[in-house]
Amino acid sequence: MSGAVGIIGAGAFGTALASLVAGKGTEVHLFAEDPATAEEIAAQRTNERRLPGFRIDPGVRVSADLGVVTGASRLLILAVASPRVAEVVRALGDVTTGRHLLVHAIGAPIDVGKTVSDLVRAETSIKRVGVLAGPALARDLAERQPCAVVVASPFDEVIAQARAALDVPARLRVYGSHDLVGVETASALSGALTIAVGLADGLGVGSGPRAVLMCRGVAEATRVAVASGAKERTFGGLAGLGNLLVRTAVTSGDRSDDYRLGVEIARGEPLSRKETEGSRAAVQGVKLAEKLGVRARILGAVAAVVHGGVPISEAAGRLADGVAEEE
Amino acid sequence: MYTAPSAAGTLNHPDPLPAHALSLTLAHGAGEFLYISAMAITPASLRADSHEQHPHDRQGRQGRQVKEAENRLAHFNAERETIVAEVERRVLESRAAEAAVRRDASLEYVLNDVAFQEIRRLERGPSSSGEKKRVGEWKDLARHLAKMTEEEKRQRLADIVGTYTRDICGNFNPRVFRFATRLLPALISGMLAPGSIAQGISSLGDLSGKLIIDGPLERIRACTDRGTLVVTPTHSSNMDSVVFGWSLHRGGLPPCTYGAGKNLFTNPFISFFMHNLGAYRVDRRLGNGLYKDVLKTYSQVLLERGYHSLFFPGGTRSRSGGVEKRLKLGLLSTALAAYQKNIADGKPQRRIYIVPATINYAITLEAETLVEDYLAEEGRHRYIIEDDEFSRLGRIVEFSRRIMTLEGALVIRYGAPLDVFGNRVDEDGESIDARGRRVDPVTYVTGDDGRVQDDPQRDAEYVRTLGEELVRQFRRLTVFMPTNLVARALFDRIAAGVGTRDVYRLLRAPGGEAPIEKVREDVARLRTLLAQRPELGAVAERWAEARPGDLIDDALRMFRGYHTRPVVDREGDRLIANDLRLLYYYQNRTAHIAPELLA
Repeated sequence: MSGAVGIIGAGAFGTALASLVAGKGTEVHLFAEDPATAEEIAAQRTNERRLPGFRIDPGVRVSADLGVVTGASRLLILAVASPRVAEVVRALGDVTTGRHLLVHAIGAPIDVGKTVSDLVRAETSIKRVGVLAGPALARDLAERQPCAVVVASPFDEVIAQARAALDVPARLRVYGSHDLVGVETASALSGALTIAVGLADGLGVGSGPRAVLMCRGVAEATRVAVASGAKERTFGGLAGLGNLLVRTAVTSGDRSDDYRLGVEIARGEPLSRKETEGSRAAVQGVKLAEKLGVRARILGAVAAVVHGGVPISEAAGRLADGVAEEE
Repeated sequence: MYTAPSAAGTLNHPDPLPAHALSLTLAHGAGEFLYISAMAITPASLRADSHEQHPHDRQGRQGRQVKEAENRLAHFNAERETIVAEVERRVLESRAAEAAVRRDASLEYVLNDVAFQEIRRLERGPSSSGEKKRVGEWKDLARHLAKMTEEEKRQRLADIVGTYTRDICGNFNPRVFRFATRLLPALISGMLAPGSIAQGISSLGDLSGKLIIDGPLERIRACTDRGTLVVTPTHSSNMDSVVFGWSLHRGGLPPCTYGAGKNLFTNPFISFFMHNLGAYRVDRRLGNGLYKDVLKTYSQVLLERGYHSLFFPGGTRSRSGGVEKRLKLGLLSTALAAYQKNIADGKPQRRIYIVPATINYAITLEAETLVEDYLAEEGRHRYIIEDDEFSRLGRIVEFSRRIMTLEGALVIRYGAPLDVFGNRVDEDGESIDARGRRVDPVTYVTGDDGRVQDDPQRDAEYVRTLGEELVRQFRRLTVFMPTNLVARALFDRIAAGVGTRDVYRLLRAPGGEAPIEKVREDVARLRTLLAQRPELGAVAERWAEARPGDLIDDALRMFRGYHTRPVVDREGDRLIANDLRLLYYYQNRTAHIAPELLA
C-alpha cells in the first residue's frame, strides 16, 4: 500500500505541513492551484507570497494538476483557503475514487449544519473522511516548533493513516478522535471566539474580563457543539481550547487573521480582511444555535459586529447585560 | 410480455410448489388466502394466473422477464446440505482461529457463555415444558467444562453449531407437510361460509386496484441481472412478509428468502407457508453470540450464492406505528460481508443491491397489541409477542376482508436500489456517487494491490452509514394514508387543547375531540408541507388531490369496521377520538414530521 500523502492547497499551512512531513521521509505530493506558485516551489523551493523566507524540503513534489496528486496518493489532506473549498472539492470529485481517504483542515462550515465533511461526501465518492485541527500555526510548523493536532474520523483507518503519514516525532504529534462533528465544530467556533478575544484586546479590557470572556466562550461553544451531536469534552481539547489559546496568545507574534480582525475593528483601524474563517463560522454558528435552540450570545455579538454593522460598544454592553442576567 | 417463473420459492420442499401461486394467495386476505391455498395444493390449478395482465401496476411489466436462473430458491433443496456444511465450517473455523489468539475467546469461554445464556433464558423466560427440560443439559455442560478436553469442547461446539444451523435452515418434514395439506381443506370448510368463498373469487379480478405497488421496478429487475437483491422494507405487521412475497411476484421480481421469527413457525398452518415461501427461522429468544454468528453466517452464505433476501432492518414490527429510525445492523452487515467475499473470490462483478421499501397500511392488523406494548414500555421484555392478532386466524380473516374492501388501503413502495455502501446505482446496476458519476464499489474495501483489506471497524462504519441512508429512504418512501393524516391532525388539536404532546398525560385527560373544520385545515396544511418536502414522505396518490373533507370521510370509513371501536367518529361538526391509543399509533407514522414544521 502506498504511504504517500497528497496535500491539497499550497497556502502557508499546506506548504509548511508538506515540508515538515517530507522531511521525515513521507512521500508528499503538494497541489498548488496557482501554476506560478507550483513553478516557484519546484524551482526555488520557496513560497514567498505565503511563507516568506521559508525553504521547502526537497522531498516535496509539487503539481498544479489535481489529478496528478490524487493519482499518486490515497490519503489526501485538504488545506485550501475556506472560500475555495466548494470549488476545489467539486473538482476533487472528478479525480478521486472510493479508494481515497480525505482529511480536511478547514475551520469553517459550509452552511448551517453542513460541515466540510458533509460537502466531501456529497460532491465526491469518498466515504472515509476526517478532519484535522489544532494549535499548529503555519509558522510554528515551518520553524519546527513542537506542535500537536487532532485527526477525527469515524474510521480508525483514517486516523491510523493520517498518523502514519503526518506524525513527526518531537515536532508534530497527531492525536486521534472519533468525534468528527465535535472537532469540526470546535475548529470553526474557536475561530469565532478568537475574534471575540481580539475585540476585547482591541478595547483594552483587563485580564479578568478577558478570562471571563474566554471561559464563557468555551461554555457557549460546547453547548452548540453538543447540541449538534459532539462529545462534551471535545471542545476542551486541541481543536477548541487549543486553537483558541494559540491564536489569542499575547506572546505569540504570529497572530491569526481572526484575532487581527477583532483587534482592528475594536480600534477602528482599516481592516486587513473584511471577513475571515472565524467570522463566517460565527454567522453560521449563530444560525445553528438558533436552529438547535441553544443560547449563543458571544457568537451573536461577533456576528453582529463583523457582519451586522452593530457598534462594538453596543455589542459589548449587550454581552455584559447577558452575563448579569444568565450566568 | 412478462412470464412468471414457473417454479419458484420452494425452500424446503422436495416437490416444489410454485411460490408465486402461494405468495399470491397469501396476499389476498385470509378468505381468499385459505381458498387459494387449497387450490395451490392441486398442481393443475397453478398455471392459471401466470399470464394474466396486471394493468394497475405503475411500472410496465412488458420489460425484462425474470429469468428462471435468477430464482435461486428453486435450487435451494439441492444446495441445502452444502450450505449447512459451509456455514458450520466457517463458524467453527473462525471460532477456532479466535480462540487461538484471544484468551477471552477460548472454546471454554464460548461454551460457558452459551450455557449461561441458555440456562438464564430457560429458567426466567417463557418456554415450553419440553424446552425447560434442557436446563439440565446446559447445567451439566457448564459443570463439566473445566474437565473437558479441547477435543471434547470442539465436538460440543460443533454439535451446538450444527443444531443452530439446522434450526435456522429449517428442517423440511414430509409428515408435517402431509398433515398440513390434509388439514387445510377441513380448516377452510370449517371456517368460511360458502358466501365468502364466492366473494373471494369475485374479488380476485380487481385485486390490483386495491393493493398498489409503486417504485422503479424496472431498475430493480435490471439489478437481478447483475447480482443479488437484499430487499429491506419497513415492518408494521406479521402480514408484511406475506404481502411482500406477493408484491415481489406482482412486480416481476424474483422471490426472496427471509428470516421469520421462530414463533411464527409454531402454528403448523402458518409454518407451512413460511417454509414454502422461502423463509428461514430466526429464534430471537437465543441472544447468545454464537447463535447470532451462525445466523449471520447463514445469511451471508445465502447472499454469496445469489439467493435474493429480504430483511426487516427494524428488527421487529414498529411498536409505535412510526417509521423506523433505529435499525438493527446485524443482518444488514452480512450484505457487505458477502460482497467482500465475492471480491475476494474474484467475482467483483457479482454485486449485492440493497432495495429499500415501505409497506403502508391504512389499518394495521396488530395495531392494538403493538401500541399497547409500546405504551406499556414493555417492548424490551415482550420482544416476541406470541399472542397477538396474527396468532388468531379469525382476526386475519377479518383484517383481510376489511383491507380488501378499502380501495388503495395498502401501498407497497419500492425505492431505487443502493449498493452496499449506500451509493445509488444507475440503470445498469453500476454504483454512482451523489453527482451521478460512476463509482467502482470495489475501491471502498481494497488496497492498491486490488485485494480486500480486512478491517471490521471500517465495515461497521460503512454498515452504520448504510443504515442511516436506509432511515432517510424509509422516510422519503413513506406513503401516508388518510388514517395517518387525520390521526395526526386530530392528535395535534387534542394535544394543543391539553397543552402537552405527552401521550401518557393525554390518555388521562378528558375530551379527545376537535372541530372537523379545524382538522380539515390541518390536513390541508400537512398535505401542502409534504408536497414541498418529499424527503418526509408523500400522501397516497389517491388522496393527494382529494378534497380534505373526502379524505376525512375515507379515513373515518377505514377507522370503522376492523378495530373493536372506530378509532375516530364524527358527531355533527366534531371529530371524536374513541381510542386515543390507536389515534396515537396511526399518527405516529408522521412522527418524524416535527410539529414546528406545521406551525
